[in-house]
Amino acid sequence: MVAVKIPTDLWEEDTEAVITTWLVGDGGSVSEGQLIAEIMVEKVQHEVRAPASGTIKISQPAEAVVAKGGEIGTIT
Amino acid sequence: MQPTRDQKVWMYENMVVSRFFEEAIEQIYLEGKKPVFNMANGPIPGEMHLSNGQEPCAVGVCAHLVPEDTVTGTHRPHHIAIAKGVDLKKMAAEIFGKKTGLSGGRGGHMHIFDPAVNFACSGIIAQGMGPAVGAALSRQMQKKPGIAVAYIGEGAVNQGAFHEAMNLAAVWKLPFICVIEDNAWGISVSKKASTAVPDNAIRAQAYGIPGYQVKGNDPYEVFRVAGECVARARRGDGPSLIEIETSRLAGHFMGDAEGYRPKGELDALRARDCIPVMKARMLAEEGMTPAENDAIVARARAKVDEAIDFGRQSAYPAPAEAMEKVFA
Amino acid sequence: MSTATATAVKPQQNERRVTIARAMAEAVAQEMRIDPRVFVMGEDIGQLGGVYGNTRGLIEEFGPERIRDTPISETAFMGAAVGAASDGMRPVVELMFVDFFGVCFDAIYNLMAKNIYFSGGNVKVPVVLMTSTGGGYSDGGQHSQCLYGTFAHLPGMKVVCPSNAYDAKGLMVSAIRDDSPVIYMYHKGLQGMGWLGTEPAATVHVPEETYMIPFGKAAIVREGTDVTIVGVGMGVHNGLKAADKLAAQGVSAEVVDLRTLVPLDRDTVFNSVKKTGRLIVVDEDYQSYGLTGEIIATIAERDVRVLKASPQRVAYPDIPIPFSRPMEQFALPNPDKIVDAFHAMKRA
Repeated sequence: MVAVKIPTDLWEEDTEAVITTWLVGDGGSVSEGQLIAEIMVEKVQHEVRAPASGTIKISQPAEAVVAKGGEIGTIT
Repeated sequence: MQPTRDQKVWMYENMVVSRFFEEAIEQIYLEGKKPVFNMANGPIPGEMHLSNGQEPCAVGVCAHLVPEDTVTGTHRPHHIAIAKGVDLKKMAAEIFGKKTGLSGGRGGHMHIFDPAVNFACSGIIAQGMGPAVGAALSRQMQKKPGIAVAYIGEGAVNQGAFHEAMNLAAVWKLPFICVIEDNAWGISVSKKASTAVPDNAIRAQAYGIPGYQVKGNDPYEVFRVAGECVARARRGDGPSLIEIETSRLAGHFMGDAEGYRPKGELDALRARDCIPVMKARMLAEEGMTPAENDAIVARARAKVDEAIDFGRQSAYPAPAEAMEKVFA
Repeated sequence: MSTATATAVKPQQNERRVTIARAMAEAVAQEMRIDPRVFVMGEDIGQLGGVYGNTRGLIEEFGPERIRDTPISETAFMGAAVGAASDGMRPVVELMFVDFFGVCFDAIYNLMAKNIYFSGGNVKVPVVLMTSTGGGYSDGGQHSQCLYGTFAHLPGMKVVCPSNAYDAKGLMVSAIRDDSPVIYMYHKGLQGMGWLGTEPAATVHVPEETYMIPFGKAAIVREGTDVTIVGVGMGVHNGLKAADKLAAQGVSAEVVDLRTLVPLDRDTVFNSVKKTGRLIVVDEDYQSYGLTGEIIATIAERDVRVLKASPQRVAYPDIPIPFSRPMEQFALPNPDKIVDAFHAMKRA
């Protein structure tokens, strides 16, 4: 099982982000490197990619506020 | 760069064709409009903007152009279209509103489109600027030969489209030339009353490009300046601007009494009508014989007669054809 | 290549969900890969990727020659798009907000829309003009309009308006391949840009491969028997939410997504109303002289007897769009207004 985490290198400050859109469905299969979610810090959008291939379980829904490094799902 | 004798003959003959064409249109336009001038009547209804006197602007520039070059004209387009090589028969038919016209009668005299020689025009002041710049952009992006020339009148420089398009052409260094036909009048408002600078060529400085003013409605001088601008555009060195002092001999449109003109101005313009001036120069400077002149005039007359007859004799489109060609 | 005739806005499992913004960019990129004539021009569409994200990633792949940031000079680049299109290119131009059409409308409705006709069909004008519409986020009266009716009213422009990412991609591919000008109107609230507030149902499964959606084919996005709700863009989502509410009251609503305003699929609308007997038209554009009146007229002209009740419209009132949140929200169409319209119809 691999945790899907908010990358720590996308923006500089410790500002929290919000998940704007999940681009895969909960329980869907994903492949490593696939774009799976969009997050937003202020007006800037960033991408979250799958860290591994497998089946995704989403733990933080769209519109959830998340911090850098925060876990938003798992891939098994 | 001075025109060769052959180029001078070409320019002269084109000017004569254009003038004959306008004179023929003028006569026919008045049919059915006397004694009551109703624009809707006669074989050629609608507005009619004749180009008598402005022929040097057309021939001096177009002498450097080939069919693949793009030209956009104004609401006063006939002389430019003729010099650019637009099919005269189909153009005449379009002016009559006939099925055989360039656009099957959908456009009329202000909307002459001949893609075979990349000519188009429109009835709104300065509107040809954007499309010509776009054609120049297309050639630059496709790395295809060909430049674009937009003709506008001196009144058009006060439109936003003029400024915006000049800036775009300059910032993208496009193969584009703006030719301003300065006939001194925007319908009834003089250049002096409408424009803050006497010489629009200086506006080129605002875009960091060369600007030229040609005085005296002189086709050779238009040719010389246009030659530099065309060469510059073809080299990929970017756009330029030419303002040509010219003469509007036939009013803004047919039926214009021109009461706003100072007394004597029109007579003075007619006294130096570019066609007899050109003829005299050809006779005096180029050794054109009267017989050669007669042959040029006869060819021009025959070409115009053929086109006008074709336009007049052609059938009108079926009315319901109006519903077609809205989309490609 | 597949041709889709209808798509429902319903989430699936294991799908490749894409926002409208990404779907638009993906369609443009796929067309640019196969057709060197296609290029994009507009304000902030390069490094920024478009204010609404619909050109994101394109400059990295295609470079600044084909993804061309323009000066703030709409008259010039709209006119240039017409000239380039007539010279063999296929420009996709962005008008950042549809509200800005005022500074360049001559180039749009007098040139872009008319040159095919004026040339007797001898000149083609394959321009896609993509422009953002819609409000609801207090951007005031010059950045919130829809103006669908303004463009659809004037002849010579095809007008499309996707409600979801699947349609957004297919309509964009069709638009780019069309030889006539296409006004591609995307609603800001459906783009998937979080800062605009986003309708999640617009983000749907989108196939990776290229496909076209034909113009003039409405989609029945929810079937029903008691009332037909017709809309485009955000109006479709308002209609679907209203249908959910009506269903809870035992009313079965059919929702029609017009997808394109020009050409307009009058047959699908008529057949739906013939089935349900009741019609509500939803439009975020101004009420008078617009889409709502056109749809109702279509039914009245064809056979008024299919109507069991007078049609209703839920449209933007004929006022400039106010800034203040309570005032703007008061004026916008919403699901409750649609439900109320249904009951008003029943009472009548």
